[in-house]
Amino acid sequence: MTANLRVGGIVLPSARVKIISQEELHQDNENPLESPLPFIVRPSAMSTLEDQPPQAVQLEALTVMKTIKHCAARHPATATGFLVGMDNNGTLEVTNCFPFPIVDVPAEAQFEQQHFNSAAAAPRAKANAAYQAEMIRMQKEVGVDANNVGWYTSANLGDFVNSNFIENQYYYQKELNERTIALVHDISRSSQGALSMRAFRLSPQFMTAYKENKFTTEALLKSGLKYSEILVELPIRLHNAHNVTTFLNQIPSLLSKGEITPPTSVHSIESNPSIARDELGPNFDKLALNIDPFLQQTCDNLLDSVETHHVESNNFSYYSRALGREQQKIQQWQAKRKAENAARAISKQPPLPEDEWQKLFKLPTEPSRLESMLNSRQVEQYAKQVDGFVAGTSGKMFAVRGNLLPGEAGSSVE
Amino acid sequence: MVEIDSSLHLARPLGPASVGLQANTTPLTVQIQPQALFSILDHSSRRPPDQHRVIGTLLGTRSDADDSSITIHSSFAVGHTETTDQVEVDMEYQKAMLQLHMRANPKEVLVGWYATSSELNTFSALIQNHYSSQGEGTYPFPAVHLTVESKPGKDVEVRAYISSAVGVTPERAADSAAFVPVPYSINYSEADRSGVESLEGAKEAESRTTGIMTDIESLEKSLEDTLGMLDRVSKYVEGVIEEEEEPSTALGQFLLNTLALAPKVDPSDIEKDFNNHIQDVLTVSYLANMTCYGAVDDGWRRGWQPARRRQEAE
Repeated sequence: MTANLRVGGIVLPSARVKIISQEELHQDNENPLESPLPFIVRPSAMSTLEDQPPQAVQLEALTVMKTIKHCAARHPATATGFLVGMDNNGTLEVTNCFPFPIVDVPAEAQFEQQHFNSAAAAPRAKANAAYQAEMIRMQKEVGVDANNVGWYTSANLGDFVNSNFIENQYYYQKELNERTIALVHDISRSSQGALSMRAFRLSPQFMTAYKENKFTTEALLKSGLKYSEILVELPIRLHNAHNVTTFLNQIPSLLSKGEITPPTSVHSIESNPSIARDELGPNFDKLALNIDPFLQQTCDNLLDSVETHHVESNNFSYYSRALGREQQKIQQWQAKRKAENAARAISKQPPLPEDEWQKLFKLPTEPSRLESMLNSRQVEQYAKQVDGFVAGTSGKMFAVRGNLLPGEAGSSVE
Repeated sequence: MVEIDSSLHLARPLGPASVGLQANTTPLTVQIQPQALFSILDHSSRRPPDQHRVIGTLLGTRSDADDSSITIHSSFAVGHTETTDQVEVDMEYQKAMLQLHMRANPKEVLVGWYATSSELNTFSALIQNHYSSQGEGTYPFPAVHLTVESKPGKDVEVRAYISSAVGVTPERAADSAAFVPVPYSINYSEADRSGVESLEGAKEAESRTTGIMTDIESLEKSLEDTLGMLDRVSKYVEGVIEEEEEPSTALGQFLLNTLALAPKVDPSDIEKDFNNHIQDVLTVSYLANMTCYGAVDDGWRRGWQPARRRQEAE
């Protein structure tokens, strides 16, 4: 048999172009063995739901693993990337993700603030939009869903609610479309055992407010926008393709199945490779009683946020004092002008205009309330996290007490 | 997954080393990160219906000291078409993708390629020779060829190979290669574990989907696992006492060692420590809740008040 490998830019036959159409794509997605699912109705069903924002998020196994890898590799710096997938009747299916390019920063410039946050701002950077478009175009050629459905970021104990996050998501929801999400992977919380991934969108109310950039007290009072209404959290489900399910079933779980040869010595138990490598063996990290570092860190973060809140509220009271002073001056001026006009009316002179104060006095501009709103949201986040930690720990602590003092526990039950 | 096929590797075959260069013959091992495998599996499920296998590029790192271990970090798909007498690989695409990938992962280099079928044929040799060639390939290092076959109803079969040149005649050298299997292992990092564990939840489900467990749920699962383990151990011990199970001195000693680890503390000390700690924890929780619902709301309201005053003034 003769065969030749042709190297170079080869235009591939139409077979490749064909697979890009949506229905086909999703048929490919399923295993050939399975009967064709009613995926064909999708385009028509989608058109009726065109403007509906997604109600839930479904993550493909690949996305979960890639996000974890990228976030863990960049830890403790922030890692960001973008997600591709498609909307299916209100469920956003995220099928793949790609990291954003690393910006080469000279070592000495790394400590400067604007460089330090380059990864956090990456999702809305112009250069990255081009990278993203290029990557998606390339992926389209090999049959990956070619829709940008959002972006992901890493977080550390829930510290993700900040203006960067809001700006990124605003950029996505405004520039692209409503069907985009922000996926947050919390590395520190995941390291405690349970995977922590959350999906967020900006609420429509917040989108309107942010568009008009109206974060004055008045506008907020009118729209009734509260800190708890900035972000909408979407429920996440994880989904495995057929071959991934097969693969997962293949991972030897010797400990839970009990197929292990009898050991010959104590040492052979401790150093048994199949025990050390048992990836899906029960994970006892979650039972560790020592969550104090996490609790402490969260409390520190919480205190920082409260501090910020304090600064913000000081700013605001400074503003309101300044405003009060100005208003007092205006009132004095108005009273004076009124008296003057009364005097002029007596002497039959034309009255002086009474709205001249607008030119003479300048009211201080109100500081934007956005920062303090975000901060309040962050405080709420931390507080809930503390609550969650405490629920777990106190449970574990009672268990430990019950174990070490069996008599006591028995008597308390009685 | 651990190595499926055990293999003995005394030396690896000589690579395409040039004259004068000391050829490295230390055995080679391949470590695969699950991300690369998942992405190959994903690509395999997205292949066009008329193609029985698809290929792609593997990226990763080589160990610094000697290139005796290769870690595969990630992979991307490359389009190709096969007919009975010809194979076309879109090398322009592969080059462009490689460049894009490098921008995001500057530390990863080209280490080889994958195919989604266990079959090794003339085309495999051709592509393998291209990937290990000088210039664009992995030369002077060997290129790793990974085959990941996922057929419905069968286990996912992963094999890793490197190749050495087999020269029958100069004309045939380009499309022949001796594929030598190399041992591989799939390495889950600490961070991957939580992910794999969550995905595992969907393993048994008909819909192949699962939710993300909350902290309390995962704690419950851990506790249940522990109880299950304890049951198994006590059942085994009972079995040994009843002389139904094969006794093992090593296991007995191990269990004894483990039991000896149980702390012996005075009950009053435990009571005291427990109370202190639980008080701390609950205080923190109380304060956090205060901050959340009290202070913030309160401060918020205080923030509003001047605004109301101003409105009244106007």
